Amino acid sequence: MSEKNNDAFETRSRALFQDSVDGLDMRIRSRLTQARNAALEAASARRRPWLFGWKMWAPAAGVTAAAILGVGLWIGSPIGHQAATVAESNLEDLDLVAATDEGSADAMEMLQDDIDFYEFADKAANSGPAA
Amino acid sequence: MARFDTLNTAWMVWDNPAPAPEGAVLEYTRELEKFLAEIERRAFRMAQVALRDPDDALDVVQDAMLKLTRSYASRPSAEWRPLFYRILENGIRDLQRRRTVRKRVMTWLPGPKEDPDNEAQDPLDNVADSGPTIPEKLMQGQAMEQLEESLRALPARQREAFMLRNFEGMDVAETASAMACSEGSVKTHYSRAVHALRERLGEVW
Repeated sequence: MSEKNNDAFETRSRALFQDSVDGLDMRIRSRLTQARNAALEAASARRRPWLFGWKMWAPAAGVTAAAILGVGLWIGSPIGHQAATVAESNLEDLDLVAATDEGSADAMEMLQDDIDFYEFADKAANSGPAA
Repeated sequence: MARFDTLNTAWMVWDNPAPAPEGAVLEYTRELEKFLAEIERRAFRMAQVALRDPDDALDVVQDAMLKLTRSYASRPSAEWRPLFYRILENGIRDLQRRRTVRKRVMTWLPGPKEDPDNEAQDPLDNVADSGPTIPEKLMQGQAMEQLEESLRALPARQREAFMLRNFEGMDVAETASAMACSEGSVKTHYSRAVHALRERLGEVW
């Protein structure tokens, strides 16, 4: 079988195939068009929920970011620091009381004896910078 | 990036994006539609050559269209054709495999009882492999019928290589991409296909 005959065979088979494609009836053509439209519609429908979701979640993301920023700023501020320090010192007092022997009234007595001092110390701490 | 005078302006643009992206999406969809419109009839005929049954061929073509638009539409348009034909050929093979399994199962089952009152009792009467069901009106004559019959007799890879190269006009590289094999394999499959077809059809064809 020569190369030339192969070429003729290929050309003829291609032409026959193209004729059969051109001769497709309207029913098949119509169904192919429907299939194409359905595929394109499915692709659009697939895109839509993503777009909708993105728009829907944008405000929520904004609120969350603002809340995180607010908490960060509050912790970094002097008020936040002061609150954290007071909380820390209260915990230290509790540790001190808890560290003494159980059942012993010494710790509570110590606190009661010097109650005036603690009141004074508290006022001094809140009145302004230390002398 | 655009700058906004007020926060409200920014929010308005955020909620209603400028028409440019939508225009791009439209253009993108138009391109995809053009591609599918250009390819669908040849794809259908190729599927029909492989499967015989026009309804089965329509099903696999529609399925291939859906898969392409859903999963690969974002790929560069130059890749669509080989991708589409790879999906199509996978669909054809799946269907042929299912037919084979169904045939095997049905040979184990007892045959349907004769029931003259119910003519549509055996769904296998409509199975494409049960006989030549190529609609005459779709054929362009005896020569094309002979060619189709000969193509069906080829091994799947040879048939695939011949149809993609000869009918679809793909080059070797594109065919290799569609068939997920090397260019050398495409050349081998195609050459064997031409040789087998010519031998089967004879010199007079």
